[in-house]
Amino acid sequence: MKFQSSRLVTGLFLEAITLCLIASFRFINIAATATLSIFNLLFLSLTIHLNGTLNKKLGILALGNIIGLFWNFVLQYFAVAGVAFFGESFNAFYAVSYPFLNFTWVVSFWSMSLAFLPKPKSTQAEVKP
Amino acid sequence: MQAIFLFSTVLMAAYLVRHYIFTLTVLRRTKKTRSNPALDAKYKPEVSILIPARDEEHVIGRLLQRMTQLTYPHDKLQVITIDDASSDITGQIAEEFSKRYSFIEMLHRDKNTGGKGKASAMNAGLKRSTGEVVLCFDAHYYPQRDIVEKLVKEFIDPTVGAVQGRPVVLNEAQNIVTRLVTLERIGGYRVDQEARDNLGLIPQFGGTVGGFRRSILEELGGFDESALTEDTDLTFQIYLAGFKVRYVGDAECYEEAVDNWKAYWRQRHRWARGHMQVCLKHAPRVLRSKKLNAKKKIDGLLLLHVYFVPVLTLLALFAGVFLVISQASQFANILWLFVPVSFYSVVGNFAPFFEIGIGAYLDGRTRLQWLVPLLLFAYLYNILIWTKAFLDLFAAKVFRKSQGDWAKTRHLGNGKCYVEN
Repeated sequence: MKFQSSRLVTGLFLEAITLCLIASFRFINIAATATLSIFNLLFLSLTIHLNGTLNKKLGILALGNIIGLFWNFVLQYFAVAGVAFFGESFNAFYAVSYPFLNFTWVVSFWSMSLAFLPKPKSTQAEVKP
Repeated sequence: MQAIFLFSTVLMAAYLVRHYIFTLTVLRRTKKTRSNPALDAKYKPEVSILIPARDEEHVIGRLLQRMTQLTYPHDKLQVITIDDASSDITGQIAEEFSKRYSFIEMLHRDKNTGGKGKASAMNAGLKRSTGEVVLCFDAHYYPQRDIVEKLVKEFIDPTVGAVQGRPVVLNEAQNIVTRLVTLERIGGYRVDQEARDNLGLIPQFGGTVGGFRRSILEELGGFDESALTEDTDLTFQIYLAGFKVRYVGDAECYEEAVDNWKAYWRQRHRWARGHMQVCLKHAPRVLRSKKLNAKKKIDGLLLLHVYFVPVLTLLALFAGVFLVISQASQFANILWLFVPVSFYSVVGNFAPFFEIGIGAYLDGRTRLQWLVPLLLFAYLYNILIWTKAFLDLFAAKVFRKSQGDWAKTRHLGNGKCYVEN
């Protein structure tokens, strides 16, 4: 029973991730999907080797996707508001700064999320800073 | 413009992939078994330790005291403090230690003979040394008691020319600069050097917390005194001579990191300029070398050119902005997405954010890894430093000026509280 519920949770997390990817493509733009994909690729390929259960890792990944999707929605509305206020020239500024603004959440979330995984056994140092 | 943008993004992608492979390698723990522990215990060659010191009165006593606590047999140890024309009491402190302990020696260099840089001081120490293996520690370092055994055992392998241990920042808690330097160090040593060693690439000899086989250095004619980064120069000389450098991650040595942005600028500017200088000297030789295999050549060339990456990033940035705004290329928007990835791929002194994050995780540094995003600001600062170093080197080449003076970093013994408590 426990085994089945664990698989169900895994399925739910995977579904959430897939939905985020589809929503980013359908409702935002391909750049948002690309950013989410890079985040997923990095997270999956690197954190899979770390301590912690698969569901915990997938849960963090799903949360990251939701935050990324939300972040991209905010950015999109920021662009719409910017164009309405400053005119078409805002589009150029937005195109240039978009990838930089977009990656701030990737790096921040990625580095913070590692703290939620169980610590590895590290080598004992003589002097502990 | 499209060609510049494409060229720079492709090269940045190459660096990103390289570091991704490094991170995966360390995660998979494909560590090779090095040597036989029984043989390691028997192997006790004569070891000379060189400590070049110039105006290091705040830290030299701490290190020399540690030298007396080393577990390596003292009858096989020769510690040489090289007082390089100090204007403070560094020489007096070292002199006192040399009077009290027979294995600690003192080498004074006055203002005429000394003050010509670390490489010059090291060469003077090398002439005095008698050990088969020569280790070096900068005065502001504080090694583990058994560090000599850990480093020296690698020399059982006759193809090993040099070894490198792991510097760990001692004054990490001091301020944000020291914390960010700690992250850079973690990325550079816990992941980068470890992976390069595991993959049989080119781990770098860092000039301190390491050592070399004396016979090889004598054959090579000692340290190049015109090089600002004599350590990188030696690394490539060793590889070009057919030997290798090993990285020993468990040989930890605690260092006092720079604690303000001005000192950070001076130190990094010297590193960048020196590294670029070494690149111009060795890149063609690496390419032609018959003693290096293809993967070492690729890694060596990427390592040599690493300080040109920020210049490349700036080029990509300007070309990309132009292309995106002018909509001159349909690929520009897609490639433009890649530029921030590249920015984040070199934030930690060329280590990408994920490499540093994984390094901090493996070290169990949960809180510290939260600071990884802040490395972007350090990187923006570094772009200025490296571009200035590039322009300085270019000007020096064009106007045939001197290759630059030795920028001495002041150490105030700020890590002392961690050692004493």
